[in-house]
Order: sequence, then C-alpha cells, then structure tokens
Amino acid sequence: CLSDLIETFRAQLRDDPDVASAVAAIRALLGFLKQDRGETIQGLRNSLRDAIDTLSRVDSSVAVSSGGELFLRFISLTSLEYSDYSKCKEIMIERGEIFLRKVSLSRNKIAKLCHPFIRDGARILTHAYSRVVLRVLEAAVESKKRFSVYVTESQPDQAGQQKMARALRKLNIPVTVILDAAVGYIMEKVDLVLVGAEGVVESGGIINKIGTNQIAVCAKAQNKPFYVVAESFKFVRLFPLNQQDVPDRFKYKADTLKTGQNLTEEHPWIDYTSPSLITLLFTDLGVLTPSAVSDELIKLYL
Amino acid sequence: GPSSPSGELMDLIRTEGQRMTAAQPSETTVGNMVRRVLKVIREEYGRLHGRSEESDQQESLHKLLTSGGLSEDFRTPYPSLRANVIEAINEMLIELEGTTDNIAMQALEHIHSNEVIMTIGYSRTVEAFLKEAARKRKFQVIVAECAPFCQGHEMAVRLSKENIETTVMSDAAIFAVMSRVNKVIIGTKTILANGALIAVSGTHTLALAAKHHSTPLIVCAPMFKLSPQFPNEEDSFHKFVSPQEVLPFTEGEILAKINVHCPVFDYVPPELITLFISNIGGNAPSYIYRLMSELYHPDDYEL
Repeated sequence: CLSDLIETFRAQLRDDPDVASAVAAIRALLGFLKQDRGETIQGLRNSLRDAIDTLSRVDSSVAVSSGGELFLRFISLTSLEYSDYSKCKEIMIERGEIFLRKVSLSRNKIAKLCHPFIRDGARILTHAYSRVVLRVLEAAVESKKRFSVYVTESQPDQAGQQKMARALRKLNIPVTVILDAAVGYIMEKVDLVLVGAEGVVESGGIINKIGTNQIAVCAKAQNKPFYVVAESFKFVRLFPLNQQDVPDRFKYKADTLKTGQNLTEEHPWIDYTSPSLITLLFTDLGVLTPSAVSDELIKLYL
Repeated sequence: GPSSPSGELMDLIRTEGQRMTAAQPSETTVGNMVRRVLKVIREEYGRLHGRSEESDQQESLHKLLTSGGLSEDFRTPYPSLRANVIEAINEMLIELEGTTDNIAMQALEHIHSNEVIMTIGYSRTVEAFLKEAARKRKFQVIVAECAPFCQGHEMAVRLSKENIETTVMSDAAIFAVMSRVNKVIIGTKTILANGALIAVSGTHTLALAAKHHSTPLIVCAPMFKLSPQFPNEEDSFHKFVSPQEVLPFTEGEILAKINVHCPVFDYVPPELITLFISNIGGNAPSYIYRLMSELYHPDDYEL
C-alpha cells in the first residue's frame, strides 16, 4: 500500500545516507511489487504508475523519475517473456534482486574507470555535493595520487560548503571552497572539471544542480576537459533543447510544487548542460562519449 | 593445444598480448590484434554454446535489466572450437591484407579535379589513396616535410613518379599556405576511443590550421589502428627519440647549456577531424565508439 511505500523509501534514505535516491526508489518499488495482490500485468503496471507518482511527490528529483521509468521498463521486458503471471512475478522479483546487487557495485566500477584520468598534481574543480565524485576522488587517493580540489559553495543550500568540503577534508584532500560566481576566475588554474549528474538525457547532456551549465561554458571557453560521472540508472528519456524544455516538476522541490505558488517567482534547483560542452561521461557501462548515450537508451527502450 | 577449455586459451593469449605490448607500447596495433582474436574466440564459443547472434555481448542497460545471472565463464570444452577460431582468424588475415585497397577504392568520391590537397609526412595509406585518384583526376598535392625526419620528401618523390603535381614545403609554412588548400588528407599511427588521433609530430599544427580555415581534415586509416584506449594521462603516449635530429651533436657547446626534445607523436583532439576513411567506409569521429564495440569486447579493453 502507498503509505508503506513512502515509509520504506524514506527509511532507506535515513538509514543509509550514501545510497542513491534512484536505488532507494527501485528498492521501495520492488518491495511494493512483492506485496502486490493483483492478478494481471495491466493491473500491476497501473498500480506501479501510481506508486511512482507518489514517490515523485515525496522527492521530485530527476533520479527518482528515471529509476521509476527503468523499473517499469524492467517489468514490461520481463512480462514479454513469460505469459503466466505468477511465474512472471517470481522471475521479476529474482531479477530485481540481481539488478539491485549489480547496481550497488556501479560506483566502484565508475571510480575504477575514472581515477586514471586524474594525474598526479592535478587541480580539480567540482560542483556541489556528489557521492559518485567523492568515490572517484577516494579511489584516486587510494592509488597514491596527490591532487587538490576546488569546490563551489553551491547556493542556495550550500551543499558544496557543508557536505562536500567536509567529506573531502576527512579524506585529507586539500580543499578550497569558492563562490559560485568565482568559477570564471578560478578556471585558468584548474586542470579538469569533474561533476556528478542527477540525470543524463538522451542527447548526452546532463541535468544537475544549478550552476553546472555555467561551469561547463567556462570550461569550454578555456579548453579544460569537462568530465561527468553518473551511474547508468540515471539515463532518462528526455530530450531538452534548452533550459525551458526541462519539465517544471524536476526544477523545483516537491513541497514547492505542492503549494502551487507562482513558479516564476521560484529559483530552479537544476539546469541542463548540453552535450557539446561535455568531454566524456564515466558510467558503469564504460567510458562514453556524449553521442554514445543515446545509443544505450535506444537499446533499452526500443 | 587440444580441446583445452576456452578460458585457458584466452588467458594464454592475454598474457602473450601483455608481453608484446609492454615491449613496445607505442605500437598499439599489436594490442588491437590480440583483442580482435579474443573477441573472435568469444564469438565462436558463444555460437557453439547456442547463444543467438543478436544477443548483445556488450554491457548495456538492457542487459542489466534482463539478465538472469552471472556472465558465462567459458568452462565447457568444445573440440571444434579450435578449428572455428583458426578459420575466423584466416578470414581476418584476408581482411587485413585488403585494407589499403579498400581505402584507396573510395578515393574518387573524395578527390575532385583541380583540387589542392595537403598532407604531412609519409603514409602508405594516403599514398595509395592519392595514386588511385590520380588515375582518373588531375589535382595538386602539397606535402609538409614533417621535420626532423623529413619523411615528406619521400612521399613527394613517390607521388611525383605517378605524375601528380607535388610541392614540398616546410612545416612552418603550413598556416600560410592553408588558405589555398581544399582538403587535408593525412594518415595516423593510432585512433583513440574518443575519436582522437596519435599521429606524427606536426599533425596537430596542421589540424589547427585546417580548422581555422574551415578546411576539411580527412584521416585515412584502416580499422586495425583503432585502439580502445582513452587519452587519460596526456603524456602517456609520448615517445622521445634522440635529439640528434633536432640539434646535432656537433653543436656540443650549445647542447651543454640547453634541453633538447624530439617527440615522435602528436595528439589531435576529435573536434578537429572531419571524417575517418577506413576499410569499412567513411565515419564521423563521434561514431567511433560504435565501431569499437563491433571490433572489441569491453572486458578486453584492459589487456
């Protein structure tokens, strides 16, 4: 039932602050699937759609939406193979567990792929708080590389200052927190830019915390490589052509959307960075150029 | 050996591949061929194991969602595997021998009459390409000599033997002459996974000049030069040889006071390249990732 679902989702995020919100969503949906008492695939899909809507109302980020879409796709693909509903459900639950196990390894896979790109003595610029970037930098430290990091403080919630800088200091990495406005100033000193992503769109661009687009434009202007690290479950079926194309339901927090205030007065929390500004994407499917991303999505959805 | 499990065979080949690539890291084609053979073994094993042709060997979102268990472990012995693999390798050898001709056959589509083509250094592939076009079209070629080894001179001699109007010029004049050039056609040592090149020293200058004048840069290279490595540490592909070529040892007095380097290779980023012409046709640099997934298996990228 739906309130249990919300409770499971919230509990997961509480107990393990390191877990990605998409993974928590998929785990909660799998639990929901196990308890479902329906007898048909169609009924199952409908109740899952309701469940995903409910989760989006709790956490409006792109990641939860992409996790939900992926789960639905997973259901469809499995149901095509088995016509008997109860057998189908068994297989779904088994595959769901395998998928969750594989996905929990994805950050380590990405760290293994990405840390050779950080040279000894590198100066890295990153934006806001990303657990994947943190894992990559941890892997680089483990391979005995010395480097320093500039983090943007990332208004309005100061995630860079509060969470990222603190976590990096714990790893003994020299950190400097800079103003969001100082990115253009610091770019000449930086060797590479490394950011996470909340969602990776079909064109190969990314949706990430507000300010990422600015950093990408500055990096392009000064010829610095702009690397994105993201797990594959963040690939989402959107194709925004500009900032306005990104749906409002992702731009603002769930609570703001519920109050129905005039959204033009609100500050958006995310922006879209176009693929022409991105050098490479590191995912658990391998190192991809932005043009390879749409291939992956086509293979899955068509 | 006789019907040994394929896993052992692949490990053997992998070890030999590691030894060979460690001996001369700049010869990336050695590693590429080892990876091709490993892919052949995987395919033949898969075919005998009964997997369908379409089933994707690559990691993909689709595979993540639908796979029922762990990936296969090559344990089942198949006596006919050895014969199949040897046959597939022979097919590959035939394909390799025909690469230069396949590339040259496409020359007429790209070179038109009265064009001015620029190239740098000496590339056998480009030589065959230009000679094939010269049989039916009349055009001019400007060759940058590519100091300090000046292989451009040999290229010019060979081209002029086929009655192609050739001019040799120094590397410093590349930018000055570029405005008169219609196309730049070059060869390369290696093609990297992001569509970038590792080519002779001087190619990056040529590419930048071409970009500035919006002149198309065409790279003629066979597919065996495509290497699944990314340019991670920018200095890792560098090979330096004796600075004798740059500043001879007879200049001993100066040599004692300065550092002289003679790098052999240049890195050319993918944004500067217009088209890759290979034995399988013409492709854009952004499409290289796709060609790579057809040639090699992701587990073999790191030998």
